[in-house]
Amino acid sequence: MSVGSQPPQTNGIAGDEVVVITHEDVDRAHDRVRVSEARARRGFFPRARLLWLLVGPGVLVMLGENDGPSMLAYAATGAKFGIGFFLPFVVLTFCMAIVVQEMTVRLGAATHRGHAELIFDRFGPFWGWFSMIDLAIGNFLTLITEFIAIRAGLGFFGVPPWMAILIALVILYAALMSHRYWTWERITLAAAAFNLVFIPVALMTHPNWHAVSHALITWQPLPGFNKEVLLIVLADIGATVTPWMLFFQQSATVDKGLTTKDIHFGHIDTVLGAALATAAALATILATAPLFAHQMGADNFQAAEFAQALQPIIGRFGASLFALGMVEAGIVASITISTSSAYAFGEVTHKPHSLNLPMGQGKAFYSVLTLCAVAAAGIVLIPGLPLVYVVLLVNVVAVLAMPPALVFLFMLVNDREIMGDLVSPPWANVLSSGVVFVLTAAGVLFGISVIAPNIFAALGGK
Amino acid sequence: MVRKEEAQNLEAVRNLVLSSLEHDQLARAKKHHIPRRILKGPELAVLWGLRIYLLFMMAVVVYQVWTAAH
Repeated sequence: MSVGSQPPQTNGIAGDEVVVITHEDVDRAHDRVRVSEARARRGFFPRARLLWLLVGPGVLVMLGENDGPSMLAYAATGAKFGIGFFLPFVVLTFCMAIVVQEMTVRLGAATHRGHAELIFDRFGPFWGWFSMIDLAIGNFLTLITEFIAIRAGLGFFGVPPWMAILIALVILYAALMSHRYWTWERITLAAAAFNLVFIPVALMTHPNWHAVSHALITWQPLPGFNKEVLLIVLADIGATVTPWMLFFQQSATVDKGLTTKDIHFGHIDTVLGAALATAAALATILATAPLFAHQMGADNFQAAEFAQALQPIIGRFGASLFALGMVEAGIVASITISTSSAYAFGEVTHKPHSLNLPMGQGKAFYSVLTLCAVAAAGIVLIPGLPLVYVVLLVNVVAVLAMPPALVFLFMLVNDREIMGDLVSPPWANVLSSGVVFVLTAAGVLFGISVIAPNIFAALGGK
Repeated sequence: MVRKEEAQNLEAVRNLVLSSLEHDQLARAKKHHIPRRILKGPELAVLWGLRIYLLFMMAVVVYQVWTAAH
């Protein structure tokens, strides 16, 4: 729309208030018109179209969380423990993720405000700035780990590190160039679909389906209880629910323009995303399970090393798919995580923050987004940098951020002043408070285990 | 003539936006802050618990960075 490309305009008066229409509003209105048209029709195809129009934030956040470090955690799980307890356990962690992420859909649709903005407004500047800065630091460190995964994955094909990083930045920038939330979302969804590449890789290993179904039903065989198992349990939980997810899905729900009428589809979106992400996570465990069967030590394996170890089992093509999956995981996460930082910055500073903004009106938003990605990518290229230490620090910062983010989420979603009748019902509160408790405790335990591993020495293990 | 078309176009866009978006979805509406929440006893206790937790965790992070640097 040509008018939409112009600067903000004073176009009319509603009551005593001057209504100012911006480019962002016009783009969002066009998206909403398509949703309204689809909703007005009856039948299977209009409903399918409505679903197509409304899915996005949930699928993106779940597949985005299947990022480089997460996929490495799942690969390590399969290589160390094979088929057993961890298959249903990963399903359970994604169920917990659904419980948490569902709350962000309701909050975003009911208030049309992002998570950082609500914390800032409802709990004051201290918690608002804390949440934003904590998220920004955690996201930045996580971004570094994503670029490490991209570099390692493309390294399998002999791509030099600088070119691998450049490819990732070009893809990130290409998605942004549309200056349109809808286009950005579809490009990122297309990239995220490659997360499912782990499924054919798993099939190439010819898994024992009887053992798989037995494990999913009975949670057997149990891995025993020692320090190593505890760390993998905590790492898998940490691979499923992280602070940026809360901020991202709520902000994306707002930017997409979802309203209370769309909450049902927001739930479907979240469950669909979790189902796809679970499939990819389980496939990764199955793909590396043969390494367990062959008693190959996979300690401290990186993306390329897993691919190389799998090559004798699934061939060069399968190993290449595995490495490509790692690259995709890093690229999609780098897009979504840098976007969540930019959203949070705009929400707390009350600067324009939308992927519908043209560059001129969204300078701060796009600058934060680009700076985060470019700086993280640049750090990965510094020779001799202790990248392993960065990965370790990511976990600690995530621990720092998770409990406040979850507590605020829980308090906000039960805040009748902003949620009205959409506050959580009692049964949902029991469920979500249980999940919040488990995730917080797991995060704290993981942090302690990273910082002071000797504390868990009493449990045995390595 | 051109100005009249432009004005009609603007009016059409305005109508489209106002009929499609809820009032608080408009970008300018987001400039307004939501009123601060009045916190009661248990909520204040939770926030103080968070502050203590953060102080502890920040000390842990600083310690970790310090030990790594040395």
